[in-house]
Amino acid sequence: MGPTVLYTASVFGAVAVYLLLRPGPVPIKVVGTLLGLGAGAWILKESAVVLSADEAGGAGTFFVLFSLIAIASAVRMITHHRPLYSALYFVMVVLSSAGLFLLLEAEFMAFALVIVYAGAILVTYLFVLMLAQQTPETDDQSGQPEYDRVPREPAAAVVVGFVLFALLGDMFFSPEGIADLPAPPSEQQARVAAWQQLDALPDRLASAVRREIGRSTDIEIVADRFGSAVRIEEGDAYVLVRTAESTEPQTVWLPDDAMPQNIEQVGLALIAKFPVSLELAGVILLMAMFGAVVLAQRQIELSEQEKRAAAAGDGHRRGGGISDAPPAAGTGGGGR
Amino acid sequence: MILASIEPINGLTLSHYMLTSALLLVIGLIGFLTRRNMIVMFLCTELMLLAAAIAMIAFGRYHLDVSGQVFVIFILTIAAAEAALALALVVLLYRHKATLSAEAWSELREP
Repeated sequence: MGPTVLYTASVFGAVAVYLLLRPGPVPIKVVGTLLGLGAGAWILKESAVVLSADEAGGAGTFFVLFSLIAIASAVRMITHHRPLYSALYFVMVVLSSAGLFLLLEAEFMAFALVIVYAGAILVTYLFVLMLAQQTPETDDQSGQPEYDRVPREPAAAVVVGFVLFALLGDMFFSPEGIADLPAPPSEQQARVAAWQQLDALPDRLASAVRREIGRSTDIEIVADRFGSAVRIEEGDAYVLVRTAESTEPQTVWLPDDAMPQNIEQVGLALIAKFPVSLELAGVILLMAMFGAVVLAQRQIELSEQEKRAAAAGDGHRRGGGISDAPPAAGTGGGGR
Repeated sequence: MILASIEPINGLTLSHYMLTSALLLVIGLIGFLTRRNMIVMFLCTELMLLAAAIAMIAFGRYHLDVSGQVFVIFILTIAAAEAALALALVVLLYRHKATLSAEAWSELREP
């Protein structure tokens, strides 16, 4: 895909987003939608994605589907006048991004994204949107306040955004590829790296070996002199196993499905490679929780008399009518 | 399987995922600049974080390394923390002026 295509499509996309952003009649919105779809289709046609259902599980088709849904929902999210619908369109973006994650073989992150983003964060947004419900200012039939209907400087923002997009896209589709990107590992290197992780998962290794030799008990996996049990040869792995019958160790080749799966690899990397970051993430979440509680708590200002009354009421309830607490104790003062 | 294939499938390359990610980032940026509702502005920052997450996962798949996915876990953490704090601030501000417009607080800016 040449730079000319990308730049022209960026201009079309920018005009489309501008037309959709500014308040206007429906025909203009239709023109903007068609322009945006046309720009997207043109980029797709030029970027040589194969749209076939039978080849390799239809990855190209699913990619196009998920990307188009994500981008269209994102545009609708920033152009919709009702914040509630914006939040719901963001859920669409999250769901289709989870689909992209599945195509990229990141199954655990796809589910985590749906649970955390669509489940937790978006529910928080919806709560706050409903908490901060507008009093309807009836200057418009739609019932939406002016700051939701009229965007701020749409032309300048669209120009800034799509100049950035043209630059980034030019970098990704330059003829020599993405600059300074190291070559991906060969399949064999990747297999060796995956097998090496199995050493850190002794239970999984033992159960795979038991499944291979068909015995449930009494096996001892012999480690080499560096302490690693998995021996790797040309991208395949074997272990030496000593059983009860024979003192001579026996070679067991491991099948490919004994390789650590995605979720095991993520968990292992999280614990073994980034333990401090994991702890820091926990501290950040805790601090965010404290911060949110402190920020959102409601301070109730009570006068001296009200404090005394609250304290007396408190004493009555607790002490069964006898109130010997000094009135200035201010038990009910602080508020929640 | 994690090691299905390294070659581009159906003509899909790293660049396609990066293009999707860049477009989502740019749309989030435009939304953040143009919208005047504070909650929608924060929603647009979430969109930008999501675009970064897609880029991380795509690079991780390209290098066959799960560190990209681990970083997405941290991005999710930051997004959750940001949502909690930002929305608490929005609730606080809404109690003061009963509007969600960002311009209601424009006296906070540099003169």
